[in-house]
Amino acid sequence: MNCETTLPLLEAYLDNELDRADAREVEAHLDTCEACRNALGKLDDVRRALRDGALKFTAPPGLRERIAATQLANPEHTRRPRWFSVAAACALAFGAGGMSMHLLNSPQHDQTAHDVFASHWRALAATSPIDVASSDRHTVKPWFAGKVAQTPVVQDFADHGFALYGGRIDYVGDTRVPVLVYKHGQHVIDVFVLPTGTSLSSSTDQGYRLDTVDLGGQPAAIVSDMDAAETAKLRELLKGG
Amino acid sequence: MTATTDTWIGELAQQHLDAAYNLGRWLLGNEQDASDAVHDAYVRAARAAHTYAGGNARAWWLAIVRNCCLAKLALRKRETHLRAVENEPSIADVEQRAEADQRRAQVAEQLRALPVEFREALVLREIEDLSYREIADVLNVPIGTVMSRLSRGRAMLQRAFTGAPEKTA
Repeated sequence: MNCETTLPLLEAYLDNELDRADAREVEAHLDTCEACRNALGKLDDVRRALRDGALKFTAPPGLRERIAATQLANPEHTRRPRWFSVAAACALAFGAGGMSMHLLNSPQHDQTAHDVFASHWRALAATSPIDVASSDRHTVKPWFAGKVAQTPVVQDFADHGFALYGGRIDYVGDTRVPVLVYKHGQHVIDVFVLPTGTSLSSSTDQGYRLDTVDLGGQPAAIVSDMDAAETAKLRELLKGG
Repeated sequence: MTATTDTWIGELAQQHLDAAYNLGRWLLGNEQDASDAVHDAYVRAARAAHTYAGGNARAWWLAIVRNCCLAKLALRKRETHLRAVENEPSIADVEQRAEADQRRAQVAEQLRALPVEFREALVLREIEDLSYREIADVLNVPIGTVMSRLSRGRAMLQRAFTGAPEKTA
């Protein structure tokens, strides 16, 4: 990494929003570059000024009491939804290292879609959406081995206009998942290979589209800004392999 | 037990009351308006509880608080058209807690001087320690927008700290 590639990542680094591989590269550059260290220092000055306790207001006691004393007009709406306790239990199991819970209930499933979109956007915002660059599936597949529980099926569809661009490891919730990255014209397409048993349905968010596909027995999510027809084409190719 | 405390909305509101009030204070500038907005948000959240579709409950609650604050701001804007002088929000109690520490009062003033979209992103990130994704949920904007608002907000504060003139970008 050099200054040009490091500077745009400094804030995400400071905010602890970089994945470990990018964070390590930023750190390696910081070790050798005083200018970038100074830039980070200036960002940290802003942080320290704002994190000064004097800037954080606490609720006046009167407000707490006022809320506690407010009788709500329609109590049945305010009752905890039935899945809430299930979700809370799942969140605990998940935090403890469980991997299979995501799929027990539908709210979680919206969260999975949300996570997948967020990871895609974050990757687009980073300097490079890939950790390993290669159009050769024989390079990409072994790269995943040892990094994720299950290495995905890796195929290249350059002949059909969807060239394999590389791969990366990303997060969906707290789970590390392999992501295959394809290019189609100007579009960067992420294929998130999800843990077996993940249920997810197609959705769109701010012009981006998520479609599901079965990839050699594993559920996967295709995410990009391609239109429905182009997405369907890639979906067929992935399914057919 | 009252009807309130055994509802999850009540628990949620009480648990994140300081965060809600802090956001309200930075958006509205005074205790009365911030308290009223948080109270409005609580009533609104309770009415909308059945629409909560999972995900981060704190972000959902703060998004409602923010909407109530913005509604108050819009109302205030209409009212100030009728007045000759706009009321500057008071920073008196920040100053008081800082015990005449000029620097802190100055930072508070500089943060308050930022346009609301940068101020709220910075308050959520730096004071409330929310992740990019949580901020995106509260503000209802893409993560990329959160990143660029934080970045611009920080740059504006850096310039303010060093006393450099504001760039008009």
